[in-house]
Amino acid sequence: MSQGGQTLNLLIAALGGEGGGVLTNWLIEIADRSGWHCQSTSLAGVAQRTGATIYYLEFMERIAGKSQPVMSLFPAQGDIDVALTSEIAEAGRMVSRGFISPDKTTLISSDHRVFGITEKTHTGDGTADRDLILSMSGRYAKRFVHFDMAEMVKRHGTVISAGMLGAVAGAGVLPFSREAFEQALANGKGAAANLSAFSEAFDCAANGGVGVVNPGASAEGPAFVLPQPTTAIGEELLPRIEVLPPAVHEVTFQGVLKLVEYQDAAYAKTYLGHVEQFVAMDSEASGFQLTREGARWLALWMAFEDIPRVAQLKLRPTRDEMLRQEIGVTEAEPLKVSEYFHPRVEEVASLLPRRLGGALLKSSLWRKAVNNTLGARQLRTDTIAVTLALRFLASLRHVRRHMLGFHHEWRMINAWLDAILTAGDPVLARELVECGRMVKGYGSTRHRTTTRLMRIVDGVKSSEIVSAETVSQLRSAAMQGEEEEPFQAALTALSH
Amino acid sequence: MAERSFVEEVKKLRSAQGELFKGEGILAITKALLQSGVSYVGGYQGSPISHLMDVLNDAQDILGELGVHFEASGSEATAAAMLSASINYPLRGAVTWKSTVGTNVASDALSNLASAGVTGGAMVIVGEDYGEGSSIMQERSYAFAMKAQMWLLDPRPNLTSIVDMVEKGFELSEASNTPIFYMMRIRGCHVTGEFEARDNVPPAYSNKAPVSPYREPEKIILPPFVYAQEREKIAERLPAAINFIKQQKLNEFFAGRYEQVGIITCGGSYNTVIRALERQGLADVYGNSDIPIYCLNVAYPLIPDELVEFCVGKQQVLVLEEGQPEYIEQGVQTILRRQDVQTRVFGKDIMPMAGEYTGQVMLEGITRFLEACSGAAIPLQLDSDAVKALETPVSEEDIAELMSSLPPRPAGLCTGCPERPLFSAIKQLQAELGPFHISSDIGCHSFATAAPFNLGNTIMGYGLSLASSSGVRHTLPHKAISIMGDGGFWHNGLSSGVTSAVFNGHDGLLIIIDNGYSAATGGQDIPSLVEPNLIATTLDADRPKRDQWQPIEDACRGAGVKWLRTVSTYNIEAMKDTLRSALTSAEPGLKVVIAEGECMLNRQRRVKPMIKQAISSGKRVEKARFYIDPETCTGDHGCIRISGCPSLTIKENPDPLRLDPVSHVDNSCVGCGVCGTNAHSAVLCPSFARVNVVHNPTALDRVLDGFRRRVRGWLRNRDRQRLERYSL
Repeated sequence: MSQGGQTLNLLIAALGGEGGGVLTNWLIEIADRSGWHCQSTSLAGVAQRTGATIYYLEFMERIAGKSQPVMSLFPAQGDIDVALTSEIAEAGRMVSRGFISPDKTTLISSDHRVFGITEKTHTGDGTADRDLILSMSGRYAKRFVHFDMAEMVKRHGTVISAGMLGAVAGAGVLPFSREAFEQALANGKGAAANLSAFSEAFDCAANGGVGVVNPGASAEGPAFVLPQPTTAIGEELLPRIEVLPPAVHEVTFQGVLKLVEYQDAAYAKTYLGHVEQFVAMDSEASGFQLTREGARWLALWMAFEDIPRVAQLKLRPTRDEMLRQEIGVTEAEPLKVSEYFHPRVEEVASLLPRRLGGALLKSSLWRKAVNNTLGARQLRTDTIAVTLALRFLASLRHVRRHMLGFHHEWRMINAWLDAILTAGDPVLARELVECGRMVKGYGSTRHRTTTRLMRIVDGVKSSEIVSAETVSQLRSAAMQGEEEEPFQAALTALSH
Repeated sequence: MAERSFVEEVKKLRSAQGELFKGEGILAITKALLQSGVSYVGGYQGSPISHLMDVLNDAQDILGELGVHFEASGSEATAAAMLSASINYPLRGAVTWKSTVGTNVASDALSNLASAGVTGGAMVIVGEDYGEGSSIMQERSYAFAMKAQMWLLDPRPNLTSIVDMVEKGFELSEASNTPIFYMMRIRGCHVTGEFEARDNVPPAYSNKAPVSPYREPEKIILPPFVYAQEREKIAERLPAAINFIKQQKLNEFFAGRYEQVGIITCGGSYNTVIRALERQGLADVYGNSDIPIYCLNVAYPLIPDELVEFCVGKQQVLVLEEGQPEYIEQGVQTILRRQDVQTRVFGKDIMPMAGEYTGQVMLEGITRFLEACSGAAIPLQLDSDAVKALETPVSEEDIAELMSSLPPRPAGLCTGCPERPLFSAIKQLQAELGPFHISSDIGCHSFATAAPFNLGNTIMGYGLSLASSSGVRHTLPHKAISIMGDGGFWHNGLSSGVTSAVFNGHDGLLIIIDNGYSAATGGQDIPSLVEPNLIATTLDADRPKRDQWQPIEDACRGAGVKWLRTVSTYNIEAMKDTLRSALTSAEPGLKVVIAEGECMLNRQRRVKPMIKQAISSGKRVEKARFYIDPETCTGDHGCIRISGCPSLTIKENPDPLRLDPVSHVDNSCVGCGVCGTNAHSAVLCPSFARVNVVHNPTALDRVLDGFRRRVRGWLRNRDRQRLERYSL
């Protein structure tokens, strides 16, 4: 018995607060206006609090003389005609749940990312592989239409539901006229912005979206070419980079650029000296990976963020512009910028000459006194007084080489470099290089990350740690965040 | 002021006879109650029936016109006790709650109501929170219906059936003097559709038409009447109900040409059954089926005559009911065996014992059933293997790869949530004092048990956190810590928790999170709500208090609490100090910390229009949001681990050398300041800034800003020149 046609089934997956409910109501109105039955259901529950939520709609043409159709309340595998998702990982989730059938389902998705909590809390880069999800979605959908709807609707000053409506209309998968869609938007709030976003999304989807998935294509731009020198420092240093293997040109160039600005040409020369040491122990066969990564982490470490560095960064000429752009305010509106600083006695001590700084840290009386006068404060960096104070602090970089902090950092840098250069085993050396990634943060975070790195370096020096694999395990344990337990457990495992 | 406003939708409740009513299941039920002439309604919010309470709340003028009395009950027990109005008087009344949790809370009143019996129709609309999207432990309300002898309606999930069954339900209740459970599943609550409206009926008795007080001692639940009531349940009420259900044809028979088999389904699953049959080529979209179906719109009690009539001559039937134990299947077996009907009954032997009957589960089950049926072969479009294959078109390797890269999206605290800084403070304090055992509760704060806070060990029920720390407190190395919301406090926490703890010399710490609303269920008002909210961090803190404000503080003092502090959650340092002193205090007795901060969802809904209006009317307004300096951020994301705010996210690192993404505040930031305060309190980094945008600046603002910009611009130009030299 199969008379009377079938329902057209549509699944919407959105994130809490993205307007999935509004989108559903538009679709109900459009169907109604077009003489179709529409039944929708949703799972609200606690999903509106940042979780993923699913809406399910079934459509059926109204036929005079026929009773109401019996429509399902459950999206079912193998029974979905259209899946509309607001974000690419949610498209992937629908694929993984079996809702995308290769012989049936048109998948329409925005392909931007909204990161999940586990991706965000990672101490390094825990983000999902977007290309993998894109290629999977393309492989399992009968048709896959995708483009960045988030960026698009932002330009039109509205929210993603309007873009999703445009995409589903433009893809031509629903039996309703463009006018019916537009009328629903015209009746609602923010009609002008919604209609213009709808229109662009409609056209984009009608042309297949970006639509083409080519995971094989490389995302990298053209090969890096060293620029011509424009300054005296450039004339002196660029030739030294030029003689290095081309594979490390870009990283080394960026490193030198950073360190010249951070300190001076001599400091950059010290850096180049170490990079040359890396090259000497590296090989063409490995693509000079050790040098490239070593040059990266060394440059970042050498440009460690002490008080003068933070002050220098806060004074960058491009900063105000960047801030306004990100906040999305015009030149006209005054901004008040209060920055959160919390210098501790350790940071102050690190500015002092070695002996004095050390003495300060040892004296509990002085520690207390300094801590009491410092502490947490908010500084209005848009004011002239604070700007001048920051300029003074930034200028202290000229005497940085005499500071306790500089000495302290270099003791650690040298230990790390020494472990790499004397590792013997190139795989072990490469793993030690990678440990440079651990160096991060300020204050207690910085203390934690460097202490753990030094523990690994010491372990290698004392031959307690001998294999590259162990270093790798310790590193990932060390990068699990604030809790001491994972790293301690990995260390304990070492002695068994 | 609830999260979702139904002010527009409730206008539909005035629909008159013959008008086509289009809307959500929840709204249809409200309309059906008005069409049934209810005299009073009440309930306690909770998914999936929160919106029913919101609709009733927003429909107060319509209710008032009709003379319908509405109360937002203090708990499900309060709501259930309301139904006692129908014991002596022919008053129709309905209450609603989330089940089975609400039914558990209400059970004492319900049992007594069911024993006494009712004169007027009494109905409990239970939102059966079972299956995907549920937020509670998985149990069936069915068990309660059986043990207390209340009838359980489970109508087909289309609006016409839903509305009809409400009206018929009241009649059934009155015909059998028995209160009714009316069960709505999650998806049924939110289903949209249409039905033909009837006129609203004003209640026979109301404030406009009072009853004459009247006593029936035999309806009081004391001996000897309770024994008579138990006999009456079996001898009179059950037969009356069975007769009414048969006569009024509340259950439905759908004929089909394969008469040797049949499907017995609960009404709520009917649509899923039809879809499965349709996909097998055995039904059409209008519900015409080749397989005979007996649809139980009344899931309890079962009607022996109807069952026998359906099964006689059939070789096999399949019984479809979600969850366990398989009460209906057992009932069917008993009835058929007693009547010596030898039809083979399939049920949980081929259907899953636990979990929802989703589209895929139903298709698999029905396919297995039809394949197992003997007799003339029933042609199927898909065999069991083909159906099984539908579930996962994705290859095993691809599934594994996808699963390892897809981020989970657990529910969490909203952007700017006042509870976030509290948990940041507790997390910092835990780092200082050692690991905590925390008794948690129901509410938004339950999310603190998940990442990134990972705080909390047990959840025993609404308002029961303090009670649940009483058995473990003597063995803990620290003073017991219990966290409770204001909703839970008023629901149950004051009596079961605070009063009992003070009485027993509990010397632990109770943190009561006062955000002004029952936030997790959709922002409904609670007794301690101040309107507009009088909370330390609120813009309009000098507004007057609500009439008859019921402060938590006074309630605690009244219950004998001596040590009591109120702290704004946004003040992390003060919170840490207060909690530390509570945990280390030598003073005996319960320590209560009221952690204040208005629910940010509600606050934004309230404040946003005010700000917008102020800006457009030319007033000077400073609007704050936060910013992370991408150049000083090193990408450790410690700020996210300590907060987890949705607006705190990550983006590509602008530094070409760095590989890890930097933290980033997106445009959804509401400027609550927690990330900055955390940066201070946990000594994180110098990357956080609060940026105040000055809208409609005054002349002084402009002069000062212009001067600052000129001087800083001049300095910047000098820096630019220097930077050009320090380049390559």
